[in-house]
Amino acid sequence: MTEFEIGLAGTGALLLMVFAGVRIYAVAAIVGVIGVVYIIGWDAGAGIGGTVPHSKSVNYALSVLPMFILIGFIAYHAGLTHALFRAARAWVGWVPGGLAVASVFATAGFAAVSGASTATAAVFSRVAIPHMLEAGYDRRLAAGVVAAGGTLASLIPPSAILVIYAIIVEESVGTLIMAGFVPGVVSALVYAALIIGQCKLNPELGRPIPSPPMKEKIASLPGTLPIIAVVAIIFYSMYSGTATPTEAGALGAFVVLIMAIVRGMSWKNLRSALEETARLTVMIFALIWGILIFVRFLGYAGLPQAFAEWIVTLPFPPLIIMIGILLGYAILGMFMDAIGMLLLTLPVVYPAVIALGYDPIWFGIIVVKMCEVCLITPPVGLNCYVVSAVRPDIPLGDVFRGIAPFFVADVVTIGLFLAFPGIILWLPSLINQ
Amino acid sequence: MSDRDIAVFSPGARLLSSIDNYYFQFEKLLNLLAGIVIMGLMFLGVIQVLGRKVINFPVPGYVDLVEFAMVIFAFLAISYCQKLGGHVRMEIIIGRFKGRTLWFLECIGILIAMYIIAVLMYYSYTHFLRSFDCSFPFCVGDSSMDIELPIWPTKLLVPFAFAMLLVRFSIQLLGYFRLFLYPDAEPIAIPMIETVDEQAQHEIDTGLAGEEEKVVITSDVRDQ
Repeated sequence: MTEFEIGLAGTGALLLMVFAGVRIYAVAAIVGVIGVVYIIGWDAGAGIGGTVPHSKSVNYALSVLPMFILIGFIAYHAGLTHALFRAARAWVGWVPGGLAVASVFATAGFAAVSGASTATAAVFSRVAIPHMLEAGYDRRLAAGVVAAGGTLASLIPPSAILVIYAIIVEESVGTLIMAGFVPGVVSALVYAALIIGQCKLNPELGRPIPSPPMKEKIASLPGTLPIIAVVAIIFYSMYSGTATPTEAGALGAFVVLIMAIVRGMSWKNLRSALEETARLTVMIFALIWGILIFVRFLGYAGLPQAFAEWIVTLPFPPLIIMIGILLGYAILGMFMDAIGMLLLTLPVVYPAVIALGYDPIWFGIIVVKMCEVCLITPPVGLNCYVVSAVRPDIPLGDVFRGIAPFFVADVVTIGLFLAFPGIILWLPSLINQ
Repeated sequence: MSDRDIAVFSPGARLLSSIDNYYFQFEKLLNLLAGIVIMGLMFLGVIQVLGRKVINFPVPGYVDLVEFAMVIFAFLAISYCQKLGGHVRMEIIIGRFKGRTLWFLECIGILIAMYIIAVLMYYSYTHFLRSFDCSFPFCVGDSSMDIELPIWPTKLLVPFAFAMLLVRFSIQLLGYFRLFLYPDAEPIAIPMIETVDEQAQHEIDTGLAGEEEKVVITSDVRDQ
């Protein structure tokens, strides 16, 4: 067998085991080690397996991950959700569909900090939906807004998944964190525009609410400060280069922790937040070193280069190939967790995308946006499921119908990113100058 | 005696269940330790930024310290995560199987994982040995760049975590094999495949962690 054929056989074995439900870190590691052993011999090959987990995990750049995850798990205790919704309602409630627009901004803001799309949808089903229903809003709209708003978790900083992307493709973590900001805000604005448009055409869906006096508006702001502080600290640190991502993450976590303690977070709650953080952290690290062993094997087999060389010879324009790749992710995302999907596919897909002439930062944002869209599409659509579970009065079918316009909006947003890469690349270009 | 009776009453099942529980206590402790190290890293980061910006005195060897601590949260809780079924996998196909077929596939999956982790354990141990040289003080064969912390303790932690994971795999293998033999028995010592309801419940619990009132999914959401 040539090395290339070994690479193909290894990838086939990998897929077989992944579909058979073997844990992905173990699948990637076993295929990687056996493949490398086959190509360069037992001692050298297995030696790589023994070296990579330590050498790749003990890497300062990765230490930002637990910081971002910690921010997320503490954020639920910092009383931010109600404060965010109050402030958003006070400031944007006056537009058509005002409460729904407020929900989008509040959900997006909280999701950014918690980094968890589905859990955010759960908590805002509790925080925002009752207010919308009380004000006579259409329940499909109310449910759709909350399920969709959570999906902005992975773009606006801090975002763990963008860090993982940066590590795997060896791009600057800071640049990717920065790059997510504008697309995240654009996505939220597109959602808001969609709601305003719908409610203008059909005012029955959701009426504006009276704007409170300026004093009340101002008074609603302090409660949201931790969120603004976290995003601002991380954003400013990346922009100015005054702190590393890990340091910025540590500051952000500290701000949220202080807020949570002020609000009476108990040791029991803190302990469970730490336990959850540790569990998620180790899961991500295991995936990373497992995949990096597999990547070594792919490198020896020359598979990524071969795939990249093949894809540029295809008789289609790069845009068509890119759309094909994105559709592939949309399908895969229905069956797989976003982090696992990205880590498994990027080692092969990424070099091909680069060979097609696309920008690495741009592709990172697009692909992460795709992962999020998968959380609102059937067959599972976990975000929709969770909204319906928290609000048994809104059947799952209604949530899916309510979210359909937001799905269309996401497709439009992705189209915008494809047509105008500058939306993504403008901000990071400022720090690279 | 029916299969169910064997599950509930057999001394073997009771033993497996109590080993599983005791071992889980140990894993939980290590996971909490990893969590506390993460919190420590947060404080260290805050001190580092304040030190550098306010009094112009950064923490000496900050990056070395972080990298030293990282191995703890990168590896120590790996078997805790395995116990909870927390490591990512694709369940769309395996989740459709039931009974003996399911338990057989799970056994195979565990055996595959055991094999590779055993290989990695041995070779990460030899990786440790290369940095462990007792002709130097504290056996520091390799040390970190800045403040010269010894590297070997962090390298030793990797095979230790893998050894712990192997013990957890063994417990789960027994759990799955027991179900393969007695498919009707009550499952013990294994993580169950989460239904969408359970996944949703998990997310809701996380999301509402700071709320007073909780939500428990009672009826099947899809049937509404």
